[in-house]
Amino acid sequence: MSTSNDSIVERATTVPRKRIGLYAALLAMVVLYLLPLETGLFTAFKTQSAFQTTIPVLPPIGNQITADPWFQAFDRLWPALGYSVAFVVPATALSALFGSLAAYGLTITKWRGQILIMLIFVAGIFIPYQAVLVPLTRFWTSIVNIRGLLGPEGSLVALSITHIAYGIPICTLLFRGHFKGLDQSMFEAARLDGATIRTIYRRIAFPLAIPMFAVTLIYQFTNIWNDLLFALVLVRGEYEVVTMALQSFTGSMVGQYNLLMAGAFITALPTIAVYVLFGKQFAEGVSGGGA
Amino acid sequence: MAGLTIDNVTKIFEDDDGEIVAIDDVSIDVADEEFLVLVGPSGCGKSTLLRMIAGLETVTSGTITLGDQIINDVKPQYLDVAMVFQSYALYPHMSVRGNMSFGLEESTDLSDDEIDEQVTESAEMMEIADLLDRKPSELSGGQQQRVALGRAIVRDPEVFLMDEPLANLDAKLRAQMRTELQRLQEDLGVTTIYVTHDQTEAMTMGDRIAILDDGRLQQVGDPLTCYHQPANQFVAGFIGEPSMNFFAMDLTGDRLVGERFEYPLTDALSAAVEGRDAVTFGIRPEDISFGGSAGEHAFEMDVDVVEPKGDENIVHLRLADADDEFGAHVSEERSPDAFVATISGMESVEAGESIVATIPPTAVHLFDATTGEAIHNRSLDNVDVSPVE
Repeated sequence: MSTSNDSIVERATTVPRKRIGLYAALLAMVVLYLLPLETGLFTAFKTQSAFQTTIPVLPPIGNQITADPWFQAFDRLWPALGYSVAFVVPATALSALFGSLAAYGLTITKWRGQILIMLIFVAGIFIPYQAVLVPLTRFWTSIVNIRGLLGPEGSLVALSITHIAYGIPICTLLFRGHFKGLDQSMFEAARLDGATIRTIYRRIAFPLAIPMFAVTLIYQFTNIWNDLLFALVLVRGEYEVVTMALQSFTGSMVGQYNLLMAGAFITALPTIAVYVLFGKQFAEGVSGGGA
Repeated sequence: MAGLTIDNVTKIFEDDDGEIVAIDDVSIDVADEEFLVLVGPSGCGKSTLLRMIAGLETVTSGTITLGDQIINDVKPQYLDVAMVFQSYALYPHMSVRGNMSFGLEESTDLSDDEIDEQVTESAEMMEIADLLDRKPSELSGGQQQRVALGRAIVRDPEVFLMDEPLANLDAKLRAQMRTELQRLQEDLGVTTIYVTHDQTEAMTMGDRIAILDDGRLQQVGDPLTCYHQPANQFVAGFIGEPSMNFFAMDLTGDRLVGERFEYPLTDALSAAVEGRDAVTFGIRPEDISFGGSAGEHAFEMDVDVVEPKGDENIVHLRLADADDEFGAHVSEERSPDAFVATISGMESVEAGESIVATIPPTAVHLFDATTGEAIHNRSLDNVDVSPVE
């Protein structure tokens, strides 16, 4: 009896000590990871003079507080935000849709040479952006003169199509994994039920792939929204997208860090919104649990 | 409703290592409204044959005819057949109602009301009417199985194809569904082809059974014919549980001489083995009887292991005075002096006991030693197989 009592007492004292160590370590990591974010957020709410006279990690106090950088940044970014939404949303949706269709065709149906086609898709994932910059610009000027055809908006269309093409391989791979994990006899049952290949996609494969759509939508949205390289190469003139607009903050306004920080936060907001919106399905899709 | 004819059908799968013959020149006639069970060990090609009928696999050669139409190249969506899969293959995102109406929506021009009516009717028949608004994930295995059957029934097809539909159920439910399926098939009168590896299901459910091994058809016939008059050693060993006892024997004069025992031939047996010098001797476990004294067809044996099953005891025997050369254990590959017998559960024998076991000549089967073909099957003269009035 006494020994068990001793051990309980011992445990009561040693376990919390271990716990304290654990929590301290976790807290330290939280601080470490959130510090840059917190610094950025405080900086965005500081006046220019306050930024120059205070330590960046400390919050602004009294007349140091201002929301002006946010309004200024928003004013300068909002047309670019609009253009970004205009090309990112279709690019995201279509790359996911085409990816799922390609994966469906490469998984559920059987035909000769589909392994080869799949390998070509997979190879597409590994082509670095930098390798295609020159051919890409040549393509959208000499072969398909997109601005000549559609006017200046052509830039955004070219950018959108480029991102769709670049996104299809990874989306196909993700959807293929999902479709492979489904009970194949279910698709056979649907064929015997009289459904055509198209109907099976619409009524069975598509609804069952919704969690995977959440994964690809979040992944593709973030990737395409944050891309600067293709935008710099393909976009000319007035249709500056948001990453380009943000980049121009650093050049023109020397040392206006509050404006830059506010701009960065505004630029990041849509991706966060997408995460929040599809978060639940995303978790389902990643953990592999279908419907 | 229609009959189905499988005519010289062969299926060859092409592999990296060459060709694999999955189905080798199989011909079966399935009459209208018949319940045919395709049975065989796993890998024998029975599922492949079923999938060929469903149009899910191509036919390498031969023809499959449904009614009077050759359906070799008809795509599954245009075939009027319904299939029940071992995994049930329910659409997980649809309710039971959705699962059952899907086929009608895709393959007929019925109005929503008519579809609803048929779904309700079939659901009532399968006693799943109260589950219509649930999703498959909210159902037990047995309920999912009923939905899978309901989904096939509602289509009112010309043929039911069933691929081990009861394999995922527990033993008790399986026995119950076996009876229910038979009754259902009788009521609906739909031609049914049922694939199973379970010889009990084959024996109890089918009007006729077709036994496949290694892609080749071994025998087609009604269950009792296959049991009592097997076409070859494979059928004899596959149908019946526990399996028939087999012994390799040589013919010497008027006796069969095995490695461990000799069996004098009767006139009927002598006639069958004439002109041969080696045969495979077969005797079913339930035909071995205990008691009496040793004689030319009765042998002294030691009881090795007894497996009581309640209604019957399965008794593993070894010939008395056998030395331990062959190992005193009951193994998969029977040693040449080991027998399996079944006796009534009320008779008690214990391991280690010595008994006299009689092997009646009328119950003996003889098979060709090399081809396995049956050369003599048991006599049914003194067995009463007349129907009970």
